[in-house]
Amino acid sequence: MKPLHVALLLGLSALASACQHVDPWERNLLARPDMAWETDEIAATQEQHTYFSKEAAMPGGGVGGGGCGCN
Amino acid sequence: MTPRFLRALLPLAVALTASASFALDEGDRAPDFQARSVVGDAEVVLHEMRGKVVLVDFWASWCAPCNAAMPQLEKLSKEFPSDQFVVLGVNVDKKLADARRALEKRPVTYPNASDPTGMLPKRFGLQTMPTSYLIDQDGVVRLVHRGFRNGDIDELREQVQKLLDKKKGRP
Repeated sequence: MKPLHVALLLGLSALASACQHVDPWERNLLARPDMAWETDEIAATQEQHTYFSKEAAMPGGGVGGGGCGCN
Repeated sequence: MTPRFLRALLPLAVALTASASFALDEGDRAPDFQARSVVGDAEVVLHEMRGKVVLVDFWASWCAPCNAAMPQLEKLSKEFPSDQFVVLGVNVDKKLADARRALEKRPVTYPNASDPTGMLPKRFGLQTMPTSYLIDQDGVVRLVHRGFRNGDIDELREQVQKLLDKKKGRP
């Protein structure tokens, strides 16, 4: 495969990605409480406690920030 | 990898990074703007505030740290004479009603411009919400303050005081 073809293939793969950049000032929908990974914080904490007690490992749950882009 | 291959990849790399490159920084001239006020029909014009230290604060009703910052910015705006320092909010809510509702909940006396199109954050190269730009009397950005945490207001106060002192020729 020629280098140009490889570059073209990579470019097309990048364009075909389903990821869409959301600017910080456009995160109004992402900041809604019902868009959170966990809507019930107490239940989520209990579940995590059960998980790390059984598995001896912390789960990687949650994301950095509530969607406002401040973190 | 051959140099030819790297050369072929270069346009792709440029295309992928170009959109994220611009951000207004300290030492840059603040872009002038005119926008409709959130409350009432007045226009908010940045260059009319030239000669004062201006804190341009980008905020939105859905942004929790923005909401936490606003009462503190209101307090800060009253700590200095209004002919020397002014806070100017820029709301980026898509719906003006959301911004008005937020201001009813947390009333502030400083002016707030509405930018539902997102044109101003683009011109300032906003990278996070909230972001405040401290602009000196000559229209130059002296501080870009990203995010808002407890205690940040002290840093802002210190910087405002520094700019005011500089103009008066104090050390």
